[in-house]
Amino acid sequence: MKSDTIINVRRTRIENIISLPTVPGNLKRISNIIEKPGLTLDEIGCFVASDPALASKVLKMVNSAMYGFPGRITAVSYAVMLLGLNVVKGLLLGIAVFDIMEQTMRGLWAHSVGCAVAARCIAEKKGGKDPEEFSIAGLLHDIGKAILVLEYQKEYEKAMEGAAEAKIPIFEAEKKVFSDGHAEVAMWLAEKWRFPRNLVEVIAYHHRPSLSQIAPLETAIIHVADIIVRARGIGFAGDFYVPDLNTQAFDLLSLSDVDIKEILQKIDEATDEIYDSTE
Amino acid sequence: MAKKIPLSDLEPGMTIVKPITMKNGMVILGAGVELTPAWVERLQDMDIDGCYIDAPKEQKITTEEAILQLDERFQPVADRPYMIRLKAILREHIEGLYEK
Repeated sequence: MKSDTIINVRRTRIENIISLPTVPGNLKRISNIIEKPGLTLDEIGCFVASDPALASKVLKMVNSAMYGFPGRITAVSYAVMLLGLNVVKGLLLGIAVFDIMEQTMRGLWAHSVGCAVAARCIAEKKGGKDPEEFSIAGLLHDIGKAILVLEYQKEYEKAMEGAAEAKIPIFEAEKKVFSDGHAEVAMWLAEKWRFPRNLVEVIAYHHRPSLSQIAPLETAIIHVADIIVRARGIGFAGDFYVPDLNTQAFDLLSLSDVDIKEILQKIDEATDEIYDSTE
Repeated sequence: MAKKIPLSDLEPGMTIVKPITMKNGMVILGAGVELTPAWVERLQDMDIDGCYIDAPKEQKITTEEAILQLDERFQPVADRPYMIRLKAILREHIEGLYEK
């Protein structure tokens, strides 16, 4: 009972985090528009187009290896139409989250981009529709870590130290400090931002894919993408060791060695691009 | 793997992997073009700060270091059958980056 209360308090605090002064202005503005019930593609398109800095970031993302459209997309209106509402929402959050990630956990952005690329690549192999949605799930799956660091910096540092000392994954170390963890935090936010149920599940269960009820395949894809990126040693996600694969999730995808090598190559290319552009 | 080089290092036979554009955004050469001696000369006369060519990527660390780091990352799960397979694939991938 007591821990339930603590979690509820934390949930309220996280849900209101967007109004805090520590949160960069970009995220506030983006979060405000995304939460709007009945948001239309037109509205979000106008919102992006009205802010040249944001529009240029959106186009840069759309044209990066993360999405991999043939040719160059140069108009916001076209990008919005091509990607659809959920992907544009995710993309905008991705842009906003980049600032927080850079500020809270260096390397988390590279990890997230790697995961977005890997997830998209697996989804394409499995013939899933809307592979862009997987880019978004990959990009946002660890958003909870950035938010926790922002709001509970000391506690989160303790969790990271705990993970390093005991050689356990960060999501287990978080439980010792918080009783909930980054996946729950991200789930609360994904619900607040009115993401579709399957995307909420993917984010909530990316460490425990067998719990997913309506999106087991999607969740398995993000779970495996996450582990492949860590195995490659790209970026930093709060701990130094590769967590164990969920064997059921891995079997569900039945990836061949060649498939995995192809994924690794795509991850390398996309993350090189990040390092190139930050030089 | 794309690598950015200054124009003075361009040689005929290199393949452009990202479009070369003028400062105003106009595309001079598209991706996939193989440079001829004439192109190299013309490009070098232009006010461009470099271009991306296809080149094996330079690795920041040696193979031994990369494999050592790989072992380190996998240490807690090194005896799990699925992870043994994944690690073997990664090892091949990493070694492949250093070939040639």
